[in-house]
Amino acid sequence: MKQVLEGSHAVSEAVRLARVQVVSAYPITPQTHIVEAISEQCSSGKLAARFMCVESEHSAMASVIGAASGGVRTFTATSGQGLAYMHELLHWASGARLPIVMAEVNRALAPGWNIWVDQTDSLSQRDTGWIQFYCEDGQEVLDTTLLAYRLAEEINLPVMVILDAFFLSHTYEPVDIPDQEQVDEFLPPMEAKVRLDTADPHALGQMVPPGAYMEMRHDIQQAMERVPTLYRQMEGLFAELFGRTYGDVEAVQCDDADIVLVVSGTATGTCRQALSDLRSQGENAGMLKIKMFRPFPEESIRRALKGVSKIAVVDRNCSFGAGGIFAQEIRSTLCNLENGPLVFSYIAGLGGRDITGDTLKEIYYRTKSSEVPEMQSTWIGLNQEL
Amino acid sequence: MGKIEKDPKGRLHISRSRISSRINKTGSWRYMKPVYIGRTAPCSAACPAGEDIPHIEHLVSRGQFREALESILKENPFPSVCGHVCFHPCESTCNRSHLDTALAINALERFVGCWGTREKIQPAIQTAPANGRHVAVIGSGPSGLSAAYFFCRLGYRCDVYESEKEPGGLLRWGIPGYRLPTATLKHEIERIENLGAQIYCGRKIPASFLETAGERYHAIFVGCGRAHPIRMQITGDVQALDGLTFLKDIRNGDKGAFKGVSAVVGGGNTAIDVARSLARLGSHAIILYRRRIEDMPAFRKEIVLAQQEGVDIRQLTNPVRMDKDARGITLRLQKMVTDGFESDSGRARVIPIQGEQESLHVQQVFTAIGAEVENPWQQPDHGSRLQLSHCSLTNDGFPVARGGDMVNQVLSVSDAVASGKQAAMAIDSCLKEGWATVEKRLADCRVGQGPALSMESYLKDDVLQRRHPQIVGYQDINTAYFLPADRAEPVIDEPEKRKTSFSDYRSDFTTRSASDEAGRCFNCGICNDCDNCRLFCPETAVSVEDTRRIDMDYCKGCGICVVECPRGVMTLEEAEHETGS
Repeated sequence: MKQVLEGSHAVSEAVRLARVQVVSAYPITPQTHIVEAISEQCSSGKLAARFMCVESEHSAMASVIGAASGGVRTFTATSGQGLAYMHELLHWASGARLPIVMAEVNRALAPGWNIWVDQTDSLSQRDTGWIQFYCEDGQEVLDTTLLAYRLAEEINLPVMVILDAFFLSHTYEPVDIPDQEQVDEFLPPMEAKVRLDTADPHALGQMVPPGAYMEMRHDIQQAMERVPTLYRQMEGLFAELFGRTYGDVEAVQCDDADIVLVVSGTATGTCRQALSDLRSQGENAGMLKIKMFRPFPEESIRRALKGVSKIAVVDRNCSFGAGGIFAQEIRSTLCNLENGPLVFSYIAGLGGRDITGDTLKEIYYRTKSSEVPEMQSTWIGLNQEL
Repeated sequence: MGKIEKDPKGRLHISRSRISSRINKTGSWRYMKPVYIGRTAPCSAACPAGEDIPHIEHLVSRGQFREALESILKENPFPSVCGHVCFHPCESTCNRSHLDTALAINALERFVGCWGTREKIQPAIQTAPANGRHVAVIGSGPSGLSAAYFFCRLGYRCDVYESEKEPGGLLRWGIPGYRLPTATLKHEIERIENLGAQIYCGRKIPASFLETAGERYHAIFVGCGRAHPIRMQITGDVQALDGLTFLKDIRNGDKGAFKGVSAVVGGGNTAIDVARSLARLGSHAIILYRRRIEDMPAFRKEIVLAQQEGVDIRQLTNPVRMDKDARGITLRLQKMVTDGFESDSGRARVIPIQGEQESLHVQQVFTAIGAEVENPWQQPDHGSRLQLSHCSLTNDGFPVARGGDMVNQVLSVSDAVASGKQAAMAIDSCLKEGWATVEKRLADCRVGQGPALSMESYLKDDVLQRRHPQIVGYQDINTAYFLPADRAEPVIDEPEKRKTSFSDYRSDFTTRSASDEAGRCFNCGICNDCDNCRLFCPETAVSVEDTRRIDMDYCKGCGICVVECPRGVMTLEEAEHETGS
């Protein structure tokens, strides 16, 4: 049934449909609406979950780690500073191979204090062993959350479902809310592979000597490497039931394109319009949306960009001293290819600044008129008066 | 339908071990250690009877009213009586008053006592086996009856001698029925009789009794109160009626005919009771008091209730003569003023203002300026003598204790209870272990660091089981666990209704409101099994079986349990040097 939903509530609805059993969270703008709605679902009985109010994000993650170790389906959500505060436990969740799902609303890190969109918070968690999905709209948020549980529980790695602050979290769009029976078919009750059992007492997360630690890490890497295939298979199941599919990346008109704009998050929607404008002006432009960031979908990217001469990567984030993070990852994906495209790196839209169609067209034409990329990322739309 | 490819390896490397984390004896990290010391609540220490108030309120909050009644009876034979008339010094020290308002301890005690009566509860009262000794108690006021109660519980045969026709002393004759209904008193006296005390009424004992009492009794308690009213010693004072006699007459059913204006001289509870009784008989009562209202020894609440009932209080007014005429009595009143100095009693000293006198015409005058011990019963000043906080002990052949209002500093029912208890303990200790050990033995039974004694501790005879005397302060309470909540107050009738009769004007709590009010109690210093120490222990070193224990092999001394204990039961001590085994 289609309903006009706030992006945040698309997450809450997915959590309800996923029959999550334990939710623990600490409120932070712009994430609060997600857990607010879930707490109401818990109190009204729509969701039979234990909702734990905790005093910090560190404790929120610690408590879902505890609950997941008990073998139940868990959820938490956070944003910006809250995610940074969880950092230590993000490593723990993946190292312990717990299938936790978290919604993360991209919010700029302080100071200066800023509650608007910026991807640096989640991208700076890229080495924690969490699978990351960047979403474009409310429907994708709902669907990805359901997929995330299926994937996490199959592969035993935690998943972050990421949405842009306000542009997605607080925007109302029509969202098709699937039937519970269909969701139950897609997402059966969790069969925990890691579970504390009082009948068979074990301790989890204890000291591991050098002789075994490296194998554990290798396992995680191997699991990550399995994710793109597994994800594709799960999307197949999902499409059979719900008729929607997203892909780890989505290539739009890349086959005959000379220049491809690489985007993620809500900038993708804008880029679809910009692309249509450019095409109507006779430009051979294409677009590549990157949904899966961890593991990095190298094969899909290489396939999509085959034959393209230039790409312009739009990063709503910055790794200081290295530039746009998507651009770095794409460069390393393409660097050993013969005749791979030139990678132009742009930074735009930090701290909630809008990425408009004009921003993207400016990026396109700059790329078109440049022979070779700059070493550093190019910052778009800087206010020269500041 | 599409297929999901299974993990080719089909296994998961995680760090999981059957080896318990108990191999890591974190107790070796400890340099501090938590201890359940169980401190003393300030209310218990302030209660002259030393009642275990936090425990009592814990029981009431759980609806265990019988157990609450039994707990009160361990230390006080008069739960209902004290629930009606105690001046509740406990409430003034209540830690809850720093958060919102003090717990209604007095009203809760009244509830528990009256509930027991209403429900015809036969509480279990611990008594020692009969010891073959025989004691006599002179006077059946609150101190004498308390002494009898505790003597019986200590295994003595006990005879109580009362000169009046019914037992109770001041409780029966000196406190009006609207403050203490006769049935309430009778019920609690019966309980003492049921324990074995023989009360002989109408038996006025001469002081010479003490000379030969040793032939029949092993020890004597004298609690004759202050039966000799103090006179004003002014011209015409013979015109004045005695306030206590007036109250006693009313209790005897002789209400007399006191119309018009009555003057009541004095500032204590008796003066207030006389004035309020007069208001009930239709007379306009004016209290004349030589000091300021705030210096009156009467209980604050009683003063307010009296004023509500239309009693006038004229402060800094001292009668200097009275003249009888055909229409009544004319009082000559000297206006007084404070002179900035303190009197011997610690109150503001007052002096007459030269030339400022006035006249007051009234129909009758009552005096209530105190009473003295009748001469023959005065303390002898020969022989060995031990002056304790609530009684004095002599041992001239056999132990004799004098207690109650005869010796007490504070003239209250609960101090009289304290006196009877202290005397019974002192005499028992003297007879069993000798004169020299009395003070030490009693000191070991103190509640906190004040004079209150615990019969429970005395009967246990185990210093180690005694609650730690350190008083729980507000800083020891973890207020994160307590939300402000309104104090429940018993409903009091409107003044106009109160004035129409001598019956009780306060209504009891319901069982629900009593439990709710008791639930406000911090339970200072006692463990009420809130379980925080166990739940918060990061090493799961706290276990609960018959009691709470800390496994010192694993307690790393972090102190979280001590901080999370909401009520100051635990403390962190410096650890011993050796580690857990």
